[in-house]
Amino acid sequence: MRTVYVCNDTVTGIFSGIYDAWKASKGEEDCEIALRGMLDFQLFCDYVEVEETEHKAIAVEALIRKHLGEKAYGAIYHAAMSEDKGKGDAILGTMLAARHLADSTKIMDHLGHPKVEKVFELGRNVFGEAHSYKGFLRFRELKNGVLYAKIRPKNQILTCLAPHFASRLPVENWMIHDAPHQMFAVHEAGKKWVIVRGEKPDEEIFRDVSDKEEEYARLWTGFCQTIAIESRMNPERQRQNLSYRFRGDMVEFTNSCHP
Amino acid sequence: MLVSECENPRVYGYVKEEEMREQAAVSQRYPAVQALAKQTDYIRKGMTIYEKLNILTDAAKYDVACTSSGTERNSDGRGIGSCELSGICHSFSADGRCISLLKILFTNECIFDCKYCVNRRSNDVARASFTPEEVCTLTMEFYRRNYIEGLFLSSGILNSPDYTMELLYATLYRLRKEHHFQGYIHVKAIPGASQELIRQTGFLADRMSVNLELPTAKSLKALAPHKTRKTILEPMRLVQNRMAENKQELTLYRNAPRFVPAGQSTQMIIGATPETDYQIMRVAESLYQKFELKRVFYSAFVHVNEDSALPAKTGEGPPLLREHRLYQADWLLRYYHFQADELLSEENPNFNVVFDPKCSWALKHLEEFPVEVNRADYQMLLRVPGIGYKSAVRIVKARRLGVLDFADLKKIGVVLKRALYFITCNGRMMYPTKMDEDYITRNLLGAGEKLPKEVAGMGYRQISLFDDVKFGSCSQISV
Repeated sequence: MRTVYVCNDTVTGIFSGIYDAWKASKGEEDCEIALRGMLDFQLFCDYVEVEETEHKAIAVEALIRKHLGEKAYGAIYHAAMSEDKGKGDAILGTMLAARHLADSTKIMDHLGHPKVEKVFELGRNVFGEAHSYKGFLRFRELKNGVLYAKIRPKNQILTCLAPHFASRLPVENWMIHDAPHQMFAVHEAGKKWVIVRGEKPDEEIFRDVSDKEEEYARLWTGFCQTIAIESRMNPERQRQNLSYRFRGDMVEFTNSCHP
Repeated sequence: MLVSECENPRVYGYVKEEEMREQAAVSQRYPAVQALAKQTDYIRKGMTIYEKLNILTDAAKYDVACTSSGTERNSDGRGIGSCELSGICHSFSADGRCISLLKILFTNECIFDCKYCVNRRSNDVARASFTPEEVCTLTMEFYRRNYIEGLFLSSGILNSPDYTMELLYATLYRLRKEHHFQGYIHVKAIPGASQELIRQTGFLADRMSVNLELPTAKSLKALAPHKTRKTILEPMRLVQNRMAENKQELTLYRNAPRFVPAGQSTQMIIGATPETDYQIMRVAESLYQKFELKRVFYSAFVHVNEDSALPAKTGEGPPLLREHRLYQADWLLRYYHFQADELLSEENPNFNVVFDPKCSWALKHLEEFPVEVNRADYQMLLRVPGIGYKSAVRIVKARRLGVLDFADLKKIGVVLKRALYFITCNGRMMYPTKMDEDYITRNLLGAGEKLPKEVAGMGYRQISLFDDVKFGSCSQISV
């Protein structure tokens, strides 16, 4: 009978699920990873609740790094942050498929395999969204000098963004707010960044911006409008490159203080 | 070479003491900075930074390059800024172009009179100049808010090329050494400026570019009387040679200062002069080969000035399709191992308006197709329409682990509706296909090949006196 391992939708949760499934050493057909809250119940299955522990996640991470290599780990790690509910299963399938290869580190080249192909696709998707937000994210300076940015990503990309901005703005206090997942990446000047989950801060604080903030927002909005060449106007190309879903949190599209 | 350079302390700014002394000396060494501050104060007292930014952005917008790629760097923990190899787009303007850098002119005052340029001295436009400090503040504040990836600083020629280049250097110096900015900087080398200044500036910038402006020396003479081929190619050669030397220095001393680490680029205006696509591609190719440029940018000529030396205004707007085809061909040169001579020739000097250069090449060389995906070498895969260089790499890797069929190709990212006429999987084509140019052309068009809008609307068009292959977008169709 098939066993379905039900785990939390976090990287630690999914890796814990994989740990349990791997330990039971089942074949590809006999096990499945499902996410709590996104479950489609099926007949003739055993449902097992996975206990989420750091220890299991670290073990799985080491397993992947050692046998599949850094490149594959990158793809799998990104895939684990995807919004897709079949991600856990695809990752487990990829790991099981790697066992049949003579050289397991080549697993991400094996795009003919449906599970590998899915991990590749999900990883690319998450990486792509994270890359977009590296550009489209906008900080605003609050009264207390903290840079605050709000984003609405589909995937959980904070752990991709935080190292990027930590390396870029090491001397600043900043905070990225992932609104749909209720997560924060917080960075204090000169220190390491941390992820905060489940806090519900007072949104009013984030509206209280510094004196100069509006002036720079106005300068930037003006710049974005002036830089366009009239005889080349092409809103369709603009939309292809910068979809509407990002624009709600980008000051040059929301700012109406342009004279 | 290296030894003689070492004797010049200004080049080795990383020596701490030198750096301090230099910092103190910079204001004395560059009287231009103070003179400018006085001059502009006198002329335009009370101009706000908003107005200045507006004028100097408007003047800079015709510059094409806004890329921030080609170099990777982490912040040293003291200042702000880092660079990503792939570059990052921060926004897109209404014309669909990427905004990655704060693209501004230092000043739009200019002593030159290039006929195509909006800032030429004979034009009556609002003039403004930044001070180095203003540029620094704007860059830093925009960068903190993640508006931009860095600075793109160009300039009109104020007083003399040397004077202007000094100002650019002083600005970059301040930004790098006083504000500790470690983000991306793209700076223009001013044609005619002294070698020493250009060399100094190169150590502060990530990318440098000298605009080629026009594809041939003859056109340059006609439209840009103050620029010569020599003054443009000289700094280009200088940067190239200095980059080569820097490579040696870096192998010797890992922490030696880096000279223009993201390489140099150039741009030329397309459609203002009667060159054919073939001539332009030959020029681009030789720039890539002889000057080792990172990129050549093409800028469709935008009518901003009325001048008898310029082509008449036709109401068609800039030749965007032509520009697009040139970029496509440019990619074929850089990533697809094509030669300019393969794509065009003296007899057939312009690109096809309906199909992209690779597709038209394939249609003319059907004897090379169909290609067996599971066996063909990488170079040949690159030549198949519908297979990009990323897909080609994936195919080569994936086929080592199993036999590929059409479904796999689709997942890999191959555009099957184009590729299917040119490939076989396990000796079979996707559908029975005649290897005949007319047949494939018809089918490609029938399968909803996306036509450029210039061609799609062509059925009913007003005949105009100015239909000319050089300036019109689609008067010559050779399907």
